[in-house]
Amino acid sequence: MNAEPASIFVIVPCYNEAAVIRHTIEKLLQKRYSVVVVDDASADHTRDALAGLPVYYLRHESNLGQGAAIRTGIELALEKGAAYVVSFDADGQHHEDDIEKMIGSLESNDADIVFGSRFLTGAETNAPFLRRMILKTARFINYLASGILLSDANNGLRAMTRNAASKMKITENRSSHNAQIQNLVHRHGLKYIEYPVNISYSEYSRGKGVRNISSIRILYDLILFKIFR
Amino acid sequence: MVPIQIVLISAVVFLAFYMYLRLRSGLVDAILIFLACGVAVFFIISPDTTTSLAQKLGVKRGINLVFYFITLFFFFLILKLYSRLRRLENKFTEMVRQNSLEKAEKLDKAEKSE
Repeated sequence: MNAEPASIFVIVPCYNEAAVIRHTIEKLLQKRYSVVVVDDASADHTRDALAGLPVYYLRHESNLGQGAAIRTGIELALEKGAAYVVSFDADGQHHEDDIEKMIGSLESNDADIVFGSRFLTGAETNAPFLRRMILKTARFINYLASGILLSDANNGLRAMTRNAASKMKITENRSSHNAQIQNLVHRHGLKYIEYPVNISYSEYSRGKGVRNISSIRILYDLILFKIFR
Repeated sequence: MVPIQIVLISAVVFLAFYMYLRLRSGLVDAILIFLACGVAVFFIISPDTTTSLAQKLGVKRGINLVFYFITLFFFFLILKLYSRLRRLENKFTEMVRQNSLEKAEKLDKAEKSE
């Protein structure tokens, strides 16, 4: 990776993640990345949990959803002169070591955006069987909505160049923002690649993250996205 | 004229005036509202007309035809309302976003953890 770590802005959207966020952010700061925490109106003490950590902190006064939080983070990152923008989950599922590799693959492939994938060779994941099956079905549904077929359509870890980030005008606040990001890549003709990343499912992230039953809600949001975009 | 017809006609006329005054509609909207009101009053006064119209369209009873059209109308209304809701949500999101960007803070290393 040739990029200066401080020019890489890692967006961490969070909602009631006070229990784990400090640990997640500390690991990112050790890598000397610029970190933008977007607190989506948490009711816990997220702000206090970040005390003493040199990060940009933004707070939505009302809970809008992960898609909206990512866009808010992107806008701040662009304003602060980011060369690369990364979206990273707050719950500790993602590994900070993957960021460097993803930016490196963006540079070497001259691509605009790289999507993390749990299902490419080399990626390690301990996702439960049912979750794997749902994710594999979701990629085809996402393809119908977005126009591009990824091996892992709902992975929140992605890195993009400043140019790609400036085109990410996300309007889907909730679960269908993944499909919209892919759709924006498709519409703007951005060059995309996938990169194998490691995801760790802990008891905490299983409890906090997207539940299997939420797939129905995601499908519903996707249909509405397709109708109303 | 039977009592129910009087009740229905009064309700339709009242609703038409209420919509006109409340929405402060333009001329085209006003014409459409009063046209719809006129059609409704006509079908209330002469309910058999709906049956003969229905039979021309291949539906047995007039009430079924009215039910089909009402279903379609409500579906259209839901889509329109949802579309308006999304526009409002987008505006609200943008306001919340601009507010959070204006108040963005760079936390300090010296700040004490609680």
